[in-house]
Amino acid sequence: MKKIYGLIAVVVAVLAFAFYRASTPSKPNAANKAKQVAGPKTVKVGILQLVTHPALDQIHLGVVAGLRSQGYRVGKNLKIDYQNAQADQANLQTMASKFANENEDLMVGIATPAAQSLAKAAAGKTPVILAGITDPVGGGLIKSNQRPGANITGTSGESPLKSHLNLIKQIVPKAKTLGIIYTTSDHGGTYNALKMQKLAQQAGYTVKMYTISTTNDMQTIAGQMVSQVDAVYAPQDNGVASAMKTLVNVANAAKVPVFPAADTMVHDGGLATLAVSQFQLGKVSGIMAANVLKGRKPANYPIEFIRKGIMSVNTTEAKLLGITLPASVLKQAKDKGEIFK
Amino acid sequence: MNLTVSTIGQGLLWSILGIALFLTFRILNFPDMTVEGTFPLGAATAVSLITHGVDPFIASLAAFVTGMLAGAITAFLYTKGRIPILLAGILVMTACLSVNLRIMGSANISLIGRQTIFSSLSQMPRYFDVITVGLVSVTIVTLLLIYFLQSDLGQAFIVTGDNPTMARSIGINTDRMTILGLMVSNGLVALGGAVIAQNNGYADINMGIGIIVVALASIIIGEVVFGNLTMNQRLVAITLGSIIYRFVLLIVLQLGFSTNDLNLLSSILLAICLMLPRLSHLLHFDNLIKRGVSNSHD
Repeated sequence: MKKIYGLIAVVVAVLAFAFYRASTPSKPNAANKAKQVAGPKTVKVGILQLVTHPALDQIHLGVVAGLRSQGYRVGKNLKIDYQNAQADQANLQTMASKFANENEDLMVGIATPAAQSLAKAAAGKTPVILAGITDPVGGGLIKSNQRPGANITGTSGESPLKSHLNLIKQIVPKAKTLGIIYTTSDHGGTYNALKMQKLAQQAGYTVKMYTISTTNDMQTIAGQMVSQVDAVYAPQDNGVASAMKTLVNVANAAKVPVFPAADTMVHDGGLATLAVSQFQLGKVSGIMAANVLKGRKPANYPIEFIRKGIMSVNTTEAKLLGITLPASVLKQAKDKGEIFK
Repeated sequence: MNLTVSTIGQGLLWSILGIALFLTFRILNFPDMTVEGTFPLGAATAVSLITHGVDPFIASLAAFVTGMLAGAITAFLYTKGRIPILLAGILVMTACLSVNLRIMGSANISLIGRQTIFSSLSQMPRYFDVITVGLVSVTIVTLLLIYFLQSDLGQAFIVTGDNPTMARSIGINTDRMTILGLMVSNGLVALGGAVIAQNNGYADINMGIGIIVVALASIIIGEVVFGNLTMNQRLVAITLGSIIYRFVLLIVLQLGFSTNDLNLLSSILLAICLMLPRLSHLLHFDNLIKRGVSNSHD
């Protein structure tokens, strides 16, 4: 019992002290100031990632590469504090406030909830760089893409949906009904799927939407889908990407081609795509971060969209489905893109 | 200093969950999995209402009500449908995912720039808005529960958990007590979800993952650190346990452990805490202490 009172007393004392300290304006500390001027300046960057996932990991590597390309090297003039919440959102806030309190010079958020936690913890004081957030305005992070407003800017990895649609038209011109499959619990996947639905309808397709809530649903839903559609579109979506092998197995049995949004998904058996490189996305974010560290203000630093994708095709898959890939597509993949066999 | 204040604030906010789970886990003596669904349910309800212009306090109350409804469904499945409690909870938790998506309309909604229950306190020094909201809500919840547990109804509730057979023999409707417990508990969890979502600045469909461990941690750490306590003191101990747990997490992060291991570490911590009575018995600590005491009397 005494312990309870003891601990409560300690907590109250700590809080009272902190409140007193926070409400009396601190005088600029001369010694501290001198310290800041002297010595080689090492900048501290906090990177917060939602979960380990091939695409997000690529973004992380890209950010570090982007910083390096602008002269910020780990161990020399850069210290990176990397935290990964491993999908446990209960920890995001703790990690973000750790960054804020250790006076990081800049914070980088990978995936929407991570970026939102950082934005909250930074409270407009520390600059926040978004790395590949699909929908930063919809996520409430910024006011507009041109003038982000708060101390936040970065890259948006919006999928080149129109190019995807053109690619489908080019490779399977006879397809009338398009199935779109996405995960209901994935913000980016849902956003892209609904956008693609509109685009495809405008282009004259009959569009059928299919949703999974976990990767376990894929076998059943995909089975249902391939019996009703001529081609499948799989947007940039964590759930579908994870269950890509299942989707492809089911689709191959019914001879329906799958057009994914990411090159990793073509590697896993998708037919072809024009994919934004996640590494490139991260790298541009890293370069933007370096510019902010050098003094550029995020408030009027527009969001950079990486829309141009590189062509990836899977020739084994094409043979399996009995589809002849157009020569122009193959050439593009050979010259600048990737061919998976 | 700031980090300490922030950690205490987080501990206060999350302790609402611990107190809620205490009702089912310790008093009624069963594990309720529903909470992993009702936590995001509360967040979804409150955040959706706020983005539609509803007052944040009313939105938080609405979250409490939706949580109670979900708890009532679990209770119904358990008491009337005779579905084992663990399974009933898992069923409702799973169903909550779809319901939450319906409520939110997307997997993630942001609150940045909206009025929340923290907004009116924005003039306070950094993190003291969290401290104030946390302290006020924990105090209200604790006082209401102390009042409830002291009442006739509350006493009947406690007896139901202690010995259902005896409770029935003295005319207590144990089913009704279970329903009451699950409703209040899940209502509070949803309220916790609403408050934490407002503090985080967003509601996300996946925010319920792992929260049962967080809630259990505050109960168990409180018990292990403070030992034998009366019922009222135990409720206070949960809040302190929650603060201690946040500090443990912080220390783990500060020590530079890989965050991939964070869940493993918190599970190990909990397992050790849960085994502590058994361990001390096995290692004869209690005998040693007894002998030491009796020797000193000689």
